[in-house]
Amino acid sequence: MNIRHLSRRGFLNMGAAAGAGLILPKTGLIRPARAQTALPPVAEADAKISFAYVGPTADEGWTWAHDQGRQAVEAAFPELTTTYVENLPYSADASRILRRMVGEGANMVFVNSNYGDFLYDVADRAPDVAFYECDGRTTLPNMGTYYVQHWYPSYIAGVAAGLMSETGKLGYVASFPVPSVYSGTNAFLMGARTVKPDATLQAIVINSWFDPQAAAQAGTALIDNGADVLFGIMDEAAYLQVAEARGVKAVMWNTDIRRYGPEAYISSIVVDFGAWYVEQVRRRLAGEWTPTEDILPLGQGVDRDAWGQSVPTEVAAQADAVREQMLGGWTPFVGEMKDNTGTIRVPAGHTMTERELYEWNWSIEGVTGVDG
Amino acid sequence: MRLKLQRLHSAPPWKAFAARVLSVLLALAVTALMMAMAGIDPIDLAAQVLSATFGSSFGLEDLGLLFSPLLFTGLAVAVGLRIGAWNIGAEGQFNIGALCAAGIALFVPGPDWALLPAMIAAGALGGALWILVPTLARAYADVSELITTLLLNFVALLLVYYVATGPWLDPSGRALATTARLPVRLPEVWGIVHWGLPIALGLAVVLAVIFSVTRWGYEVRMAGSNAGSARYAGMPVRRHLIAVMLLSGALAGLGGVMEVAGTVGRLQGGISNNYGYLGIMVAVLARAAPLGVIASAFLMAVILNGGIVMQTQGLTTNTVLAMTGLILLFAAIGDELAHYRLRRLEGRN
Repeated sequence: MNIRHLSRRGFLNMGAAAGAGLILPKTGLIRPARAQTALPPVAEADAKISFAYVGPTADEGWTWAHDQGRQAVEAAFPELTTTYVENLPYSADASRILRRMVGEGANMVFVNSNYGDFLYDVADRAPDVAFYECDGRTTLPNMGTYYVQHWYPSYIAGVAAGLMSETGKLGYVASFPVPSVYSGTNAFLMGARTVKPDATLQAIVINSWFDPQAAAQAGTALIDNGADVLFGIMDEAAYLQVAEARGVKAVMWNTDIRRYGPEAYISSIVVDFGAWYVEQVRRRLAGEWTPTEDILPLGQGVDRDAWGQSVPTEVAAQADAVREQMLGGWTPFVGEMKDNTGTIRVPAGHTMTERELYEWNWSIEGVTGVDG
Repeated sequence: MRLKLQRLHSAPPWKAFAARVLSVLLALAVTALMMAMAGIDPIDLAAQVLSATFGSSFGLEDLGLLFSPLLFTGLAVAVGLRIGAWNIGAEGQFNIGALCAAGIALFVPGPDWALLPAMIAAGALGGALWILVPTLARAYADVSELITTLLLNFVALLLVYYVATGPWLDPSGRALATTARLPVRLPEVWGIVHWGLPIALGLAVVLAVIFSVTRWGYEVRMAGSNAGSARYAGMPVRRHLIAVMLLSGALAGLGGVMEVAGTVGRLQGGISNNYGYLGIMVAVLARAAPLGVIASAFLMAVILNGGIVMQTQGLTTNTVLAMTGLILLFAAIGDELAHYRLRRLEGRN
């Protein structure tokens, strides 16, 4: 919006890029983005913590999981007030709502999806309010980012999917061609290919995180095309119901929603932000808060769900063996890796950093449909 | 003595205006009643909405940013209605206008003073081109523009999604599903309110003058109220229809230019924010009068801004949607009622 903010943000981006190599190993939960003075403390009774959600809290998915985190904050700090807004639009209306939250006296605002400039424009003008952007890649003096290392459980689920697929064709219901979709599709197919080397993955982009009708249509189209295991990154359960009706399998996201398709359910990438939210609010109240860039690791905020009833014991065991290796520090994301045009994108011997996985923006060989 | 309802051919203006005001008030009253029944104090909420909107410069700036795109799409639909064409595609033309302007800003090098007019021209042209096929289909084959303009909205939206997440995706990798920030910005006139607002207000006045004093405006109005007799009187009805519909598309396209270059700063899916559809309501409430569009777009901006406050108070956006729907419903009823008058019949039969 004006040159001063632009250049400051550009400068911060440079700092974040320089710091990318410093991401701690998977066991480290939190690292400060940069040394700076903390925001002053707030008395618990005066504090207002606001949450802006991309979907409805009743989605039984992403937003529901974040709202569990909000409730954990209320339980941990009974005297403070929390507020939330559902269905925050990805448009200039997001800025209006966030500005209004600031106007109503929020001390801390969590936004559970990436809103880019719509959020930064507000944060720039509210230096005393702490902001967090989920799935964000930009930090400001008063704004940090948080997300989950979902590529590990996605890979584990991919192993199970590869073992259970007969056609070797995997389907993926994608929201947008964004890094979380690239890392999800790539990791899932990589896992599947360890047990079914010629497996492929077709994705359909539906331009939404929450559109049950479009997700069901995409799921149907993928199954019509031969897919017998569906994966996706939806905030709700529509394609699981399609899989159940069509007699194929599905891997879900966010929560345990097996009741919508008990026979189809393989597992889910389950998230739990409760402990992290409570810790950030504690730091804010105590006057210790500075922005952080947190990607919660496997077993500490993100994991696979308990296996579905139709998953054979030996499949579960084989996938869980991979999970154990990962918990021990092993990573499958090692070069040489080629993209789906055949270009080498990760040279031999290079292990992708968490930052690189977080910013993954190309499809591996075998994945179609994410980038058109 | 008996009373009889008599239907007039056209409603007297004062009655139509009174029906408009009454429909808005009734819709507000029904919404307030529903809220009270749900345990929310409507007076308190209204006070919060008004103070958040008019009580601070932030609120007024936000209002201005909502006002401007509604003026453009409202004018676009109103202009079409003048000749009896329903442009339901302002949403799509808005998207294409934004796309064309963003294309110029991102890929054509040059100084701001040269790029901004080029973006405005490209956006207006893009909006006009987007309605070209429905226009020709209506003018030469009598294909309903209602359907064709509506369907092209989805094509436009998907096209914007495609370029913003595909070929034009921000190369920095830090912004998701959007192009890079445009290097050219529409300058601001007050706070974060940019030139889009004064330009839109100016256009409304210019259009009002054109329709009320020029021969062209008179012929368009004639063609709109009775195409057959206008044709019989020797007016080039088809040519006017084509010109008016292209103008309508261009106006919506201009709205897209201002939104992408002034408010959002990047091209992304959903940039139109339903302004195209809301423009239909703005135009209908204004009875397709350009100056009336100023009033109804302002009212709509206040309602939408009120929706923001309601959302932070834990109410859903559906409340606002329901309220705008109610206004339109009451306005339609009021419109019809304004055509009637009570006549006293001296009984003799």
